[in-house]
Amino acid sequence: MKILKRVLGVVLALFVAALFLFPLLWVVLASFKTKLELLAVPPVFIFQPTLQNYINAFNSDFPMQVRNSLIIAISSTVISIILGSLTAYGFSRYTIKNSDFLQFWILSLRMLPAIAVVVPFYLVFRKLKLLDTHIALILAYCLTNTSFAVWVLKGFFDEIPLELEEAAMLDGYSPPQVFLRVALPLARSGLATTAIFCLIQSLNEFLLAVSLTTRVAETAPVGLSKVQTLMGVDWGLLSAASVIFMLPIVIFTIIVRNDLVRGMSFGRMK
Amino acid sequence: MAQETIVSNRAGPATAMEAAAGIRGVWWRRLLFMPTIGLLLLLAIVPLVFSLGVSLFNYSIGSKPIWVGLNNYINMFTDPQFWLATRVTVQFTIAAVFIEVVLGILFGFVMNQRFTGMGVIRLIVFLPMMLAPLVVGLFWRFMFDQTFGIVDYLLTWIGLPTIPWLIDPFWARVAVVVVDVWQWTPFVTLLVLAGLGTVPTDLLEAATLDRASNWMKFRQIYWPYLRFPLLLALLFRSIDTLKMFDVPFILTGGGPGNYTSTLSILGYRQQIMFFNVGMAAAISWVVVIIINIVTNILVKLITPTKVEKVHTGL
Repeated sequence: MKILKRVLGVVLALFVAALFLFPLLWVVLASFKTKLELLAVPPVFIFQPTLQNYINAFNSDFPMQVRNSLIIAISSTVISIILGSLTAYGFSRYTIKNSDFLQFWILSLRMLPAIAVVVPFYLVFRKLKLLDTHIALILAYCLTNTSFAVWVLKGFFDEIPLELEEAAMLDGYSPPQVFLRVALPLARSGLATTAIFCLIQSLNEFLLAVSLTTRVAETAPVGLSKVQTLMGVDWGLLSAASVIFMLPIVIFTIIVRNDLVRGMSFGRMK
Repeated sequence: MAQETIVSNRAGPATAMEAAAGIRGVWWRRLLFMPTIGLLLLLAIVPLVFSLGVSLFNYSIGSKPIWVGLNNYINMFTDPQFWLATRVTVQFTIAAVFIEVVLGILFGFVMNQRFTGMGVIRLIVFLPMMLAPLVVGLFWRFMFDQTFGIVDYLLTWIGLPTIPWLIDPFWARVAVVVVDVWQWTPFVTLLVLAGLGTVPTDLLEAATLDRASNWMKFRQIYWPYLRFPLLLALLFRSIDTLKMFDVPFILTGGGPGNYTSTLSILGYRQQIMFFNVGMAAAISWVVVIIINIVTNILVKLITPTKVEKVHTGL
């Protein structure tokens, strides 16, 4: 009876995993199919794999779009981590006026719907001739990334024992030195985790990207969204491009797997 | 609430640090807060105020803005498209969040077992929520296809009729919910699993010895530890689905006949396709207000001084 229950549990777990894995496997399979195999009825599961779709993806605008995505995501993450670590450290170590209110205000910005800032951003960036540039999206992403970084990093700074910093103070370190030489190095892994979450969020964002770019600064999701061409939809190329785009995110997820709860709940649970 | 650890309120040592700071300390503190707050004001509050102003003008890109007062709002509230989009958005939110929470609890218990390979299984289950919603919507569109889609093929394989997924107004909405559920049930599962990790083992052992029924166990032992994570999941998911854009945009383009157009899609169309900036601003303000209400509930529930300590066992 006990063994039966145990086996049932394992089977259920495998079934749940299959539910989530199957669509992903199906795109990976699709990316290795020829045009005929992609549209075959009934769908084919066994076939001679081809790399043609990947070659096509590399010869399209997709590499440029991935480059744009990376430039924008990395720049915005760097800015957000610098500002976020300063402010998170401030909230963690100093008692300031209206501290709770400020923290909630910052959190509420993270919840702000992108559609709310699309209109003003579009008009302002148009006036500044910044539409379809990296700078526009970098700035736009700083809004969500910085507020996210403040909340998650505060949790990491809170965990550093104060005794270490006090000892450094007694050794004659000034507060900025304590921050740079004691607190930041101790929060290394937290900084890395937060940065990875910021990167993923920026790479995945779509509404602002599709509104503020037209061609030159187009990010990968925007490129992928323009699926309809005169020739119909090239599902092979799209699948290959999707797989390429998802690969770094899968690697990132494996790296931060122990901090998923923390990142996804803004540091409210860990 | 379960095992709250107070992590803030370190007034003692913090004031010691502050005392040592002096006049340079004042500048140091300004450096800690001012740049961030300045940037956030510039990137959020200024645009929001600007957009409120824009919503009072008849403002088409390329022509001179004309003051129209509340006309954009009056037009919006008398437009059946707006009410359809509101209804669709609320339908998506209620359906998706409800299913995600129910499945999330079930899957959380399934994932809470310990055996070799569970780490890998959990990683697979948590993967969808990390992917770009646009990419997820894209490959589901491929799978939902009428002629060569795998979903309809699997339905016929188990003896069910095929479904006109992206063509029929009802099934197109179901499709959007399916995609959201596929991508975000893992998020609820993650939080449930985290909550289950906090249940003390001696409590479970006692319940096993007492031969408590499954329902009793759930209600008396698990529930107190699941309440907070579920509340968090519920609110985060509601906020996200209320501003849903990517999935219906790529899956159905808002169609058929606007039956999958959310408020975000409606606003985007007014702005980018019809260049009707004033109207777009008015619509975006409705989304802001709805989400602000939900966010305020969220904020009341989570104070910055409380952090829930849990394990996921990855």
